[in-house]
This record gives sequence, structure tokens and C-alpha cells, in this order.
Amino acid sequence: MSVGNVVNVLRWCGAVALIACTAAVAAEAPSGAEGVYASAPPRLLQIRTLVAGGGRQTSTGSGFLVSADGLAITNYHVVSDVALEPKTYRLEYTAADGSHGDVTLLAVDLPNDLALVRVDKHDAPFFSFDKAALDGALQKGERLYSLGNPLDLGFTIVEGTYNGLVEHSYNEHIHFTGALNPGMSGGPAVDPQGQVVGINVATRRDRQLISFLVPARFAAALLARGRAQQATPEDLRKDVIAQLGTWRTALYGSLAEQGFRSESFGPYQAPETQAPWFECWSQTNASASPKPRASINTTSCTADASVFIASDLDTGAVQISHSYFKSSDLNQFQFANILTLKAQPYLSLGGSFRKWYTPQHCHENFVSVAPASSHPPLRAMWCAQGYREFEGLYDVVLVAVTQDQSDQALVSRLSLQAIGYDDAIRLGQRFLEGLQVVR
Amino acid sequence: MIWVEVLSRHRDVAARFRVDASEFSIGRSYDNDVIVDDPHVAARHVRVFHDEAGQLVAEDLGSANGLYLDRDRSRLARVTVDGNVPIRIGHTLIRIRETSHAVEHERLVKSGRRFVPVVAALVLGVLLLGIDAIKTWFAQTGEPHLSNYMLPALVLIGGALIWIGVWSLLSRLFSGQSHFLRHVLIAETAVLAIWIYGELAEIAAFSLTWPVALNSVYIAYWLALAVMCFLHLREVGRAHLLAKGIVVALLLVTAVTVQALQRSEAFANSGRQVAAHVLLPPAMRLRPPQDETAFFADVGKLRAKLDAERMQGKPGLTQP
Repeated sequence: MSVGNVVNVLRWCGAVALIACTAAVAAEAPSGAEGVYASAPPRLLQIRTLVAGGGRQTSTGSGFLVSADGLAITNYHVVSDVALEPKTYRLEYTAADGSHGDVTLLAVDLPNDLALVRVDKHDAPFFSFDKAALDGALQKGERLYSLGNPLDLGFTIVEGTYNGLVEHSYNEHIHFTGALNPGMSGGPAVDPQGQVVGINVATRRDRQLISFLVPARFAAALLARGRAQQATPEDLRKDVIAQLGTWRTALYGSLAEQGFRSESFGPYQAPETQAPWFECWSQTNASASPKPRASINTTSCTADASVFIASDLDTGAVQISHSYFKSSDLNQFQFANILTLKAQPYLSLGGSFRKWYTPQHCHENFVSVAPASSHPPLRAMWCAQGYREFEGLYDVVLVAVTQDQSDQALVSRLSLQAIGYDDAIRLGQRFLEGLQVVR
Repeated sequence: MIWVEVLSRHRDVAARFRVDASEFSIGRSYDNDVIVDDPHVAARHVRVFHDEAGQLVAEDLGSANGLYLDRDRSRLARVTVDGNVPIRIGHTLIRIRETSHAVEHERLVKSGRRFVPVVAALVLGVLLLGIDAIKTWFAQTGEPHLSNYMLPALVLIGGALIWIGVWSLLSRLFSGQSHFLRHVLIAETAVLAIWIYGELAEIAAFSLTWPVALNSVYIAYWLALAVMCFLHLREVGRAHLLAKGIVVALLLVTAVTVQALQRSEAFANSGRQVAAHVLLPPAMRLRPPQDETAFFADVGKLRAKLDAERMQGKPGLTQP
């Protein structure tokens, strides 16, 4: 089977090479990339974060000019150190001609990972946004060119393909098939006319050419909103935190609004989200060897709605999972032991515990949901931790284990990162009410 | 006829001299009737004779280190000896008894019931191995392997033998008898108590939703260990029981304090309680389920705790 795969891959490569050759023969004039790159350098910036007192960089990213008076767009994650700790860090830019100077942070869009900065450049050429991209009218397969300074190696142009918006994602991202690398973050991805379609933001590691762009319309909106802004560093920091809260409220509001549908697990019914931005996978141990003594069938829906908040904090994932356990030859104590192992209400950390989180507190009890004829008694475990920096945001996990049978059980887990406490209680209540049994 | 007995530190008779004279002397030199090889004893240290009342009296012969009664600190020129309280010269304890000294009654040899502790020890041992096997059985949710039962049992037996062996050796050293069976019984009872408490704590945590029992299980373990050590020490020697009790209690308090501190620091570092949330068979539930609304009301109370900790916690970021 593996030999067959290798052959297939080789054939496929051959086909691609053939197409590339024909294209090269046909095009006599400078290729698209050359044309695009010819006019790009004066509009591109490398944005470096430095320790306030010293001259050495701690991280680098890219950015691009969007106005004649020195406004530029980059990623929030390129400037996050300065946004959160303005006393410790400062920003500098380096242009393609080697000139450099100070960068002032004007505004950020945390959910979309964008930032607007001002550099002391005047009457420089700048990028404009692609009209079709702003309207969302771009066709799949359109050629895009991503620009930036990967790994501090020098300004680079990368050719790739527009592949529409990423599915199952709460935040809008463009799926760009091209090789993005660290350091290119914040650089523009442009069409063959040199107009901005998106902003380089992320890439999937250990995969091939799967990269993501922030759609240009968010950058255009940030530019319109932030152009006039005169925020002090402290205001900016508060704004970052406020944006986080607003965004999470909207996200969980949408989760509640989209509602749940009932899914069957043995005799049990469990709520599964209908929000399209979840990705669901199922898993079984039926084919495991040696033959498992209890069958476990799990369905797990995850929304990777986590965002980069600081260089050492990524949080915001949402997970809903149900595991149906049925014992084949375990006694009830052994079965309870398996459940104990699989039903621990773990809270994961998106960064250093001491820096970002309060200690966690848990509450557990037997819970009944009325009417008892359709709702099994439950053992419910609730654990929560707060964020030290973000008032009103918590990570919550709720695990419920059905208590009506000694040889089968449903273990349901609701895991909510960065959520308001009342939102969490409301969702938790709905979640428990959705757990039913058919007798 | 008078018997002079040199006692060891543990009050055993180390040497016994028979003196036929009604008056005699004790000292280091060879012209004494009773010779004591203690460098802190004078060449002629004590003279022993009957006084006018017919009582046996010891009299200091002008030694540098003097004559004392047992542990008493006041130096005596002469002292009446009663055959029970020994006199002290140098570092040597000497007991002087006349032939008329009354001895204790003959103790009865326990013949008929010697098998009782043996049976008890065996029954307890089998019970422990049985519980151990059941614990292994209940924990075995994967493919069953015989070695999973054998190994813990062997470790248990080996550990118990070493533990009991050491205590028996100490008993033999200090009290002359090993009291092997008693040490076996003490160790077995302690392990049984610890296991029973552990199971009860799990049942309390699940069936009664009282997780405190499980979180404080380490205190019970240390307590059981301390009681066990005290009982072992008592078998080693019945003297100074109060002192032994105090030492064991101090060690217990130290151990519990250190572990409580270590746990609270681990919680401060990781933000997580160590104890697992235990699930047992549903049939073991001992309290009615809480209404959903009441559960979420309790859950809501956690928020105040989290907020309080957020306020008191040192901020992670340097405030601008």
C-alpha cells in the first residue's frame, strides 16, 4: 500500500512539473511574481520588538504601509508585547532600503489578530485594498502573492493560491495555499495587481502549504477606526482586554443561539452543538487489541476559537464531548474505575498558571434534572479558574456522568475557555438539561 | 550471707557476688570482698555492715566520687540499703540483698492459649492479602495478568517482614525478647486501619459528596503510622512511655505540618488539588441528588472565591 502511495505522489509531481514548464515557455515577459515584487519593497516593513532599554530584537514580524502619512498594518501578535507591557518593550521598523525608525501602536483588533501602527515615513508609496476581496467576491484558485520577511532573511515574495474561507472557524480566515514562515506575520498577501487581499497570520505546522490570512476587510475597518485614534499605552491595554471580553461574549452568545440537537448514545440522548464553526470527530475503541473490556464511543466537537493574547498565552477553545461507556465483562467497581479515569474535570492552561490564572475551584454533587422520567440522575463535576488580568473571564469545565446504570454510562464534558461566569452557568444548565435517557 | 549484684544500665544483673562476712567492702582494689572494674570507683569505696538496729548500711570510705542512691543527685555519707533501690558508686549500680529478701511470686507459664496470637496474626495476614487482591482486581480494567496480583502481595509481605524484623531486633536488643508476634499484630492492624480508612474516605467523597475525607487522608495515614510506631516502641521497652509518646507525637505533628505545607505550596504552584474526583458504582450513592437549580446555585458561589483570588493575586503583567 505504501509503495502505491509513493508512485502516485511521483506521478502527481511529474504532472505539476509539466504544467510549470509549459507556463515558463509561454511567458516571455516578467512573471507575475516579478511584476508584483518590483513595486512592493518601499511599501513593506519589517517590524521588530525590542527590549525598551536595549537595541536587540526579541521578535520580528512584517507589516505594510496603507497610507501616505505612515500608517501601517501588521498582526496583533507581532506587537502584543508592546500592547500589554509598554514599559518593557518598544517597536522599531526596518524598511527594504535599510532605513529604520520608531513605530507607534495606534489600535488593535484582538479577535482578528490585527494592529494599526504609525511609522515616521511621509509621502511613501502604499498598498491599497483589493475591491473584490473587500466584497468577498474573490474566486477560488486566484493567484496570490504573500510578502514579508521570513526568519529575518530579507524581504521575500511567496506565490500561492486563494482557497476561499476556512470552514468550521468562528473567526474568518482565508485559506491560502502557500508557504508562510515565522517573520512573515503581518505582511500583505496581494493579487497580481498588487492589491491587498489578506494579511499573513498563521500556518499549520507539520502540514504542507496550509496557511491562513486575515481577510482585508478587517484591516480596512481597523484603518478607518484607528486613523484618528490617539490612545495612551494604558488605554490600549484596557482596549485589548475589553475587546477580548466583547468578542467572547459574542462567541458564546452565538453558541447559545445556534442551539443544540439531540444525539443518541445507547439509551442516552446528549446535546450536540449546531454551530457550524465546530469540528466534530468520533472515536471508538472497538478495534483495539487486546479486546477492551468496556466499549467506549466518543464524539467530540471542538471549536478552535482560541486567539493569541500574549506571547505566552493562547486561549479560547471550546469543546463539547460525549463518551458512551458500556461494560462487557467488568464488574461495577471496575467499571466505576474506568469512569473515574476518563471523567476527571481537567482544565487546561493556555499559558503559565502563575502569571495568568487563579487557582481552580471545583464543586461536585449528584444532580437531578426534572422530569426524572426522562433525565437520568447525574454525578456532575464543575471546575473553574479565573484570569488574573481579565476581569469577568473564566475557564470552566463541566463533566456529567449518568448514574442510572452500573454497567453503562454516558460521560459528557463541556469545556469553555475564556467565558463569562453567568454565560457558563446558563450553558451548563442547558447542557445538563439536554442529557436524557430513553427507558 | 549477703548477695551483692552489679546491675547493667537496663537493670539486669551483670554480676552477682556472694559474701559470707557480715561486714565487707566494695572497691576497685583486690583487697575488697567485691571488686568493681569501674575507673570512677575508688580503690576502697564503700563499706557495708549491719548498724545497731540490725539494718544493712552502706558507708562512703572517703571516695572522691562519693556514694549515691540510684539516680539521686545528693551525695550521701551513709545510706540504708533495702534491697530494692540500688546504690550508685562511680558509674556502677549495685544492689545488695540479704538472703531473707522476699522475691516475687512464681509467674504462670501461659501454655494453653499461645496459639491465639498466632491464629490472629495469620487470619489478619490472610485478610490483608485478600483485601490487597480485591483492590488489585477492582483496579484491573485492562487485560487481567496474574503478576498484577503476585507482585503487590510480594512487596507487601517483603516490606512487612523487614519492618517487623527491625522492630523485633530492637525489642531483642533492649528488652531481651523479640515479641515477634506482637510486632506482627501491630503492623497488620495498622495496615488494615489505613486501608479501611482509605476506602471509607473514598466512599465518603462519592456517596456523601464529602471530598474533605479524601483530601485529608494523609493526616489519617500519618496518625496510623504514629500510633503503630508508639505501640512498637512500647514492645521494645515499657520504660519511659510518656517520653516515647511525646517524641512520636512531635514527629507526627512535624510530618503532618510539613506535608500540609508541601500540599499548600503545590496548590499555589499548580492551582490544582491533588486528589482525584472519585466515581463509585451508582448503587453506592447515599444521598439524594441535588436539584439542578440548587447545584448551579452552589456552582455560582465559586465565583466569589475566584474573584477574591484574582484581586489578591499579584498581577502577572507589569502595570504601565
